[in-house]
Amino acid sequence: MTNTQTVSPARPLTRPVAAPRPSRRDRGTRLLATLFLAPTVVGIVVFTVVPIVGSVVLSLFHWNVIDSPSFAGTANYREVFTDSTVRVSFLNTLVFMVFAVAAQLLIALSLALTLNGRMPTWLRSVFRSAFFFPLVLSAASISVVMKYLFNQDFGVVNWLIGLVGISPVPWLTSEHAALATVIIVYVWQQFGFSFLLFIGGLNNIPKEVHEAASLDGATGLRKHLHVTLPLLSPTLLVATVVGVINALQVFEQPYVLTNGGPGDSTRTVVMVIYETAFEQLRFGEASAVGVLLFVLIMAVTALQFRLSRRFVHYQ
Amino acid sequence: MTDSNLTRRTLLRYGAYGAGAAALAGTAASWDRLTGSDIPGRDDGSLTVATLGPAYGPEAIRTLTEGFRNVHPDIKLRINAVQAVDWSDFFAKILTQIAAGTAPDLVYVATEGVQLFAKSLGVPLDHYVRRDAAELKEYFADVHPSLVESMMYEGRLYQLPVEFNAADMYLNRQVLQRAGADFPAPDWTRDDFTALLRGMKKSSGSQFTPYFWTNRLWGGVVPWLFAGGTNLLTESKAPGGAWLWDSFYPAAEREGRGGGFRWTTPQATDDRVEEAYDYLASLIQEGLCTRPEGGNGQNLVGVFSTGRVGVTPAGGFWAGGLHLAGMKADAFDVQYFPRWRTQRHQFGAAGYALLRTSRKQDEAWEFIKYAARRDTLMRLFDTNQTTPARRSMLTAGRYEESGPRHWQVFYDTLDKFPDTGPIPAPPQVAEVTEVLLKYTGTALASPRSVRPALRRMQGDLEKAMERDV
Repeated sequence: MTNTQTVSPARPLTRPVAAPRPSRRDRGTRLLATLFLAPTVVGIVVFTVVPIVGSVVLSLFHWNVIDSPSFAGTANYREVFTDSTVRVSFLNTLVFMVFAVAAQLLIALSLALTLNGRMPTWLRSVFRSAFFFPLVLSAASISVVMKYLFNQDFGVVNWLIGLVGISPVPWLTSEHAALATVIIVYVWQQFGFSFLLFIGGLNNIPKEVHEAASLDGATGLRKHLHVTLPLLSPTLLVATVVGVINALQVFEQPYVLTNGGPGDSTRTVVMVIYETAFEQLRFGEASAVGVLLFVLIMAVTALQFRLSRRFVHYQ
Repeated sequence: MTDSNLTRRTLLRYGAYGAGAAALAGTAASWDRLTGSDIPGRDDGSLTVATLGPAYGPEAIRTLTEGFRNVHPDIKLRINAVQAVDWSDFFAKILTQIAAGTAPDLVYVATEGVQLFAKSLGVPLDHYVRRDAAELKEYFADVHPSLVESMMYEGRLYQLPVEFNAADMYLNRQVLQRAGADFPAPDWTRDDFTALLRGMKKSSGSQFTPYFWTNRLWGGVVPWLFAGGTNLLTESKAPGGAWLWDSFYPAAEREGRGGGFRWTTPQATDDRVEEAYDYLASLIQEGLCTRPEGGNGQNLVGVFSTGRVGVTPAGGFWAGGLHLAGMKADAFDVQYFPRWRTQRHQFGAAGYALLRTSRKQDEAWEFIKYAARRDTLMRLFDTNQTTPARRSMLTAGRYEESGPRHWQVFYDTLDKFPDTGPIPAPPQVAEVTEVLLKYTGTALASPRSVRPALRRMQGDLEKAMERDV
């Protein structure tokens, strides 16, 4: 005979205890924290969330500023997808992004590594300031000056290359050369930001690691590839993400230098948004292009963070 | 695991949040839309006039404001000089102001935007003009009917032109002398023009380009299309306007006038259009002409005044510009655009457009009349930065200091070539201009590019013209 015991379903030994009510002091602290955070949150909501939501909503309407908006459903998206100018502008922007960011990072990293070597402090300061200086200038002003310099017939650049017997180059008026020229101008101005990040990143690498690598016989390029770069990878990630986002939103340089031409060869997505909205008064279509650009930036950034798991090493 | 039991207190709290949010949403929904003019201090009851910033400096604004205050002390005037690189940029900024709820009462509008504003935003001035006909007789007698006609849309008048610029040819006399060439005759032809460019090229160094032009609607390809007897879009005239012509112009001058221009069917693939592009492409190939450069020709004054360019198309506005750049009155001169099939010139004019949204339309009309008065324009245009629409203002004295010697060309362009007309600027002007500039750049990349680029231009123009603005 067996004793059968009726086992009741598992039951907690104690009743769940409600979290203790916050004291008056805790509530005061929370209120204070909320008050301090409120301006930032309101700022983000008003200046970031609302415009994003507004753009998405507007992309579903036809609106020309003058008349009331009318619901369009997905018509703006259909229009945008069949518009060859929009397609070309996305392609131009991607090509621009790839070359501009690569050049920007390569130049900035090379210069940062060079400056991180043995050099008098005052000279290092001069170089740092000189490389960073273009970044504090307005992109539009720089582009106006560059437009003069790169003018095919009267520009200084062609005059200089003419001194060594090279024929004038149509820097801004040839479909093949114009995008390259815009990239040159953009990189010249923008590499200072990545350069500054790399300088900071290099200074954070402990000297002991380099000394240990030297003792192990690592020198020159090998030391940079196997020691410096892995330790600099978090900085590299930040510089790449910021560089890619900025490059995908490029506007001033192509607008001033070439106005998108010749043809559509330097027309970027943000230029198309500006022209569609403010020149052609098709705000719905412009918003649809804006939404697509937003999705593209999000996707590229997500991809970068995904890849960073493999290539970025945190100390 | 979270506790899913809601206490009565929590329920009440969330209920209160919900009610608060609903109340806020309800208030927002029932509230009138807030606009920029609701900002305290923005709407001070002034009559607001938006002008193109670079054309209206602080001195011009002071002249206009003080002069108007003397005539109408009861009307408070505010002139808003909008900084913009060109007309297209200016219109974009005005439309942004309208979208923000801070629309001006009056906007200074050039031919590029006359029909766009007339169709969507403008108030016709017909009843004001009829009412004040006696006062305006002197104005119309002084202003060429072509300029007035360019400010009409579908039979109604929307602006009183105060300035204009026709695309004539400026020539650098130093370069002419270097080439051993004479100043061209008024009836010079396209072949004379080409020969002159070749002579200039031969006598100058490698850093010299005989002919410079800027890729834009005014003064770009369009003058060559006009000279070639064609246009980018088919041109016709709207019916109507007889009330104006019969009231203000003698029979000879009102003949053939209508109710404004209509630009409709694109004709970029027309043989004559292709021929004009082929001609420009051949000049580029031969090194006689710059490639189409975008923008507003900012560096042109510099290269022309230093003799690195020999010839360029420009209007009366350039006389003042060259003078300010230090060019002496006899160092340059102006001649009509060369004859090809025709010697029809293109021009652009400007005046003040009254907006539908204005609540001060009567006061605005008083400003329009004031701005078109001779004494006002004399003070405003004293540096030859444009060609005044009033014929009587173009005198030898005006151009004595700045030049050019043949200053009569500016107004005679309208008189001697009666078919001279405005640049093609339908209500879809923004898109048409964008398409024109885009494919002009592509077409002139090489001689073989002309035909394919014009075919694509035609397709895009057709699409642009189908859109309702």
